[in-house]
Amino acid sequence: MTTRLSHFWVMRLPGERLSLRLPVRALVLALVLTLALGSLIAVSLTIGSYDMSLAQVFATLLGDEVSRQMTTVVWEFRFPRTLVAAFVGTMLALSGAALQNVTRNGLADPSLVGISQGAGLAVVALTVIWPDQSSALRPWVAFAGSLVVAALIQGLSWNRRGGSSIRFILMGIGVAAFISAITSALMTYGQIDRAMSALAWLSGSINAAGWSEVRMVAVWCAVLMPPLLILSRSMSALQMGESTAVGLGVRASVIRYALISVAVGLAAIATAAVGPLGFVGLIAPHMARRLARSGVGLHLLLTALIGAFVVTLADLLGRALFAPIQIPAGLVTAIIGVPVFIYLLQRTQAKSAL
Amino acid sequence: MTTQASHNAMSSSTADSASGAWLAYSAGLPVMVGVLAVMFGWHIAVGAKSLPLSTVLNALVQYDPTLFDHMIIRDLRLPRAIIAVLVGAALSVAGALMQGVTRNPLAEPGILGLMAGASFAVVMAIGVFQTVPTVWLPWVAAFGAMVTAVVVWLIAQWAPGGATPLTLTLAGAAITAFLGALISVAHLLNQETFEQLRVWLAGSLSGRRVDVLSVAAPWLCLALGLAMVLSRKVTVLAMGDDVARGLGVRTGWLKVQVLLCVVVLTACSVALAGPLGFVGLVIPHVVRLFIGSDYRWIVPYSALVGAAYLLGVDIIARLALRPQEIATGIMTAMVGAPLFIHLVRQRAS
Repeated sequence: MTTRLSHFWVMRLPGERLSLRLPVRALVLALVLTLALGSLIAVSLTIGSYDMSLAQVFATLLGDEVSRQMTTVVWEFRFPRTLVAAFVGTMLALSGAALQNVTRNGLADPSLVGISQGAGLAVVALTVIWPDQSSALRPWVAFAGSLVVAALIQGLSWNRRGGSSIRFILMGIGVAAFISAITSALMTYGQIDRAMSALAWLSGSINAAGWSEVRMVAVWCAVLMPPLLILSRSMSALQMGESTAVGLGVRASVIRYALISVAVGLAAIATAAVGPLGFVGLIAPHMARRLARSGVGLHLLLTALIGAFVVTLADLLGRALFAPIQIPAGLVTAIIGVPVFIYLLQRTQAKSAL
Repeated sequence: MTTQASHNAMSSSTADSASGAWLAYSAGLPVMVGVLAVMFGWHIAVGAKSLPLSTVLNALVQYDPTLFDHMIIRDLRLPRAIIAVLVGAALSVAGALMQGVTRNPLAEPGILGLMAGASFAVVMAIGVFQTVPTVWLPWVAAFGAMVTAVVVWLIAQWAPGGATPLTLTLAGAAITAFLGALISVAHLLNQETFEQLRVWLAGSLSGRRVDVLSVAAPWLCLALGLAMVLSRKVTVLAMGDDVARGLGVRTGWLKVQVLLCVVVLTACSVALAGPLGFVGLVIPHVVRLFIGSDYRWIVPYSALVGAAYLLGVDIIARLALRPQEIATGIMTAMVGAPLFIHLVRQRAS
């Protein structure tokens, strides 16, 4: 530990009346991640079919009109898109962290347990059946769809002995397969042009994101973040198991439902904005935990930063790697996420047997 | 392990009335063949233009190339019905064998990722070589299915607790998601080449790949025959590795044979109809409800019931949203996924 930064600094007042354990490594990491995210966003603004230098991007962002074209490219296309990617990553990562906490299952992820698919089905149904109303109703419909699916899975995986977390995952796989089939059937039924727009959206694509999406995800982030912060204290008690949490004075069942609602809400809004992005909620909380040990609050901050970084990077890779062809970010996150999932599967304890 | 125990109980009760059961099961086979024949005729009769059964029969027995209805039946509907029969039988038998050998009620070529592997191999081969000779198509698919089967098994084996139904299912789902994403990327990068594959990748019998049929059918039938030959030993293996070894079964060799059989069945099905999920899950469970745990009966009944089932599903897929056609793979998932959920629930309680 001499060369590596230790996880905590313990500070004591003279006489040891008061001591404080400062999670210095996590704090440094948060700072580093913030800087990295900032630079990634800056870099991603320069990359694309219209080449720009970093200085030009900064000038344009600060309001100087370097050239009319640059203003359009940055303000109308690249900047909102990058912002949406960062917001969506944050929301999915936090949703995954909350779900993993509630289910006490390291493999939980909104896309694995069918929540994203529920939002997907609801939005596709809206797009295909009532195309005129789609944009305003989208977040609400997505939220309703995911909530129904979450309740369904929770109900199905509950039996007299209580819910088993691993059954929750298997059930999610089954429900996700069922819902995907219905979604595909809807798209066969719908008109081809509507189906095509739904199809692009279904592979988790940030291509079309504009300022209206930015407004939507930002507002909902502001709504859903405070409850999550309030719940984070109980989350650390819940981590030790339900009976311990109850012993510590946590109303476990209330907290559980509140956390699931927040997790579903975050995932649903993210899905409504850009379509289902898999595995982000799985990777980010684990990465945050491996990189630095800290309390729940700081862990959530790190998770959010990593989620934003991962999705921004996925979007950048997807549009830059095979330009001019754009690979939806959802495919990139799946290709990155599955190996991580398999790695985590190897490390999950045998206690999670069926 | 409750299902295992109930199977054992069932097998002992069948042993008591062995001769009676034998008679009943033997009598059941011709009945199932009859049901299959009726479904076959019905499948050919319905469609955009519904034809009377007598015309169907005439076209099959006394083909008259001057009649338009006969031409429809011979060239369009008959190949589709034959493909449905072969694929339904192959997938059901593959599922039954996998469930027996891995003692995993959730085992199925789709869930464990074999279908994704086969599809991925075909997509990659077409992407790299532009056109793949039809003769090679089943073998490319078989290669993909084989590699995926081994990879999924290894992932599950390395996980804590070994290759349990849970780890196998999770590994299969993960690999399916991974390969699915890669297939989508390949599709985006080369749209012209893959546009023709889009319907096939949804799992569809509408492609009428007659050229593939003539290549894949012999191998598929051969694998079905091998499954029948292996079925007696699979019954023993389903009771546990130790029991099987004690009864003189070379378990390792048997598992290799079953794997080969399953891979060929899956690959031929995928080459013919694309990935049709959950067929191999549903049918063996339904069959087991009536037949018990003797694979000498499960395998032939699975083949017959599976063939009839896929014909039925395909009829629904063609009729439900007329004039549009739902991809058959969507229909099989809509029927099969609820059963999967039921099995997970049942196993846990």
